[in-house]
Amino acid sequence: MDKITDTEHLIACNECDLLLERPVILDSQKAKCPRCGSTLISARHNSIERTLALSIAGMILIFPANLFPLLTLELMGRTQSQTIFSSAMGFYYDGLWPLAVLVFMFTILVPACKLLLLFWVSFSLQFSIRLPARRFALRSYQHLDEWGMLEVYLVGVLVSVIKLVSMATLVPGIGIFCLGALILVTTMSSSMLDTDLFWHKIAEADHD
Amino acid sequence: MINTGQSAASQGLLSCHDCHALWKQSEQHTHCQRCGSALHLRKPNAMPLTWALLLTSTFLLVPANMLPIMMITSLGRGEPATILGGVIELINLGMYGIAFVVLAASILIPVGKIIGLLIMLVTLQFGLTTNMQQKMMMFRMVHWIGRWSMLDIFVVAVLVALVQMGNLAQISGQLGATAFAGVVIFTMLAANAFDTRLIWDKHSGTDSE
Repeated sequence: MDKITDTEHLIACNECDLLLERPVILDSQKAKCPRCGSTLISARHNSIERTLALSIAGMILIFPANLFPLLTLELMGRTQSQTIFSSAMGFYYDGLWPLAVLVFMFTILVPACKLLLLFWVSFSLQFSIRLPARRFALRSYQHLDEWGMLEVYLVGVLVSVIKLVSMATLVPGIGIFCLGALILVTTMSSSMLDTDLFWHKIAEADHD
Repeated sequence: MINTGQSAASQGLLSCHDCHALWKQSEQHTHCQRCGSALHLRKPNAMPLTWALLLTSTFLLVPANMLPIMMITSLGRGEPATILGGVIELINLGMYGIAFVVLAASILIPVGKIIGLLIMLVTLQFGLTTNMQQKMMMFRMVHWIGRWSMLDIFVVAVLVALVQMGNLAQISGQLGATAFAGVVIFTMLAANAFDTRLIWDKHSGTDSE
């Protein structure tokens, strides 16, 4: 309780611990630490609504991105299709199960969890519904953020295409376009998320 | 009286690592009242943890580069492929741009990250606090770019899933890929374990203990 009255006008840089007067910033502005240059706060226009909308879009797109083949390889009349899941399973069949688990986590599990957690928190704030575990959800999201690697995976698919294109015919599937859209949506959702605002809203709601 | 322009620690305050709420150190909360995460003035055991994770990834660099990451079998003949071999193959195909991307992602970035983190650790250990802004820029780069090193693993994953043409052509993953993924993950964990506030504590001479 004391915190709200005493230190609300102050902010400490997250990377160098410099204590500052909390800057007042407008939508889509950023405040940087004058000493180390890290971003202190970054305000987004309609952060909660946009995050909610983008997380719903992502949760829809994640299905076609995972269910439809990304690429189909044709070689001498034989064809082989590939989905995100099958590229994790390939390692499993080769006996490299730790790698299979990692690929599954970074390309399917973590991106799906991130969208679900973001939806949970932004839905709860948007409609002022006190859903359980939303503090835990937002914290988990922050920690999981860098472990979702869909965009790295997509570049990996493109490099594979270049490696294979001289020896076989490659046909792009619907999945790869859905994956591209999914990456766009997840990237936008994490840049629209104003964590400072979200934490303040959660604290306000918890105090009422 | 609280003075701005000093470290929060020196003014009797601490900020939550997860939600950045400011608390008084004297209040003796063990967990943040706003987000519920454990409160620490600085990340616990930041230095030994970062050292341990960094050394692990450095050791793993050896098998990652020596062992084949995949086996390409075509018409009954198997040929192991290493990371550097893949880059050379792309150069031979005349794909210089892609060759550079793969070289950067799989060799330059992991090695650069390890060197970058070593510089942070060594300068902190010996209290060399010059060029602080540059060091922070470097650390942020290391942190941001880390995940892109998984590129080569994903390339192998896609190749293994696609090239399953029986005895005509077949690609299988090899142990080098696991070692390489280990390098990437342990450097990411090392960067997360490090606390940049420590170097600023040394820099401004504030005693955070």
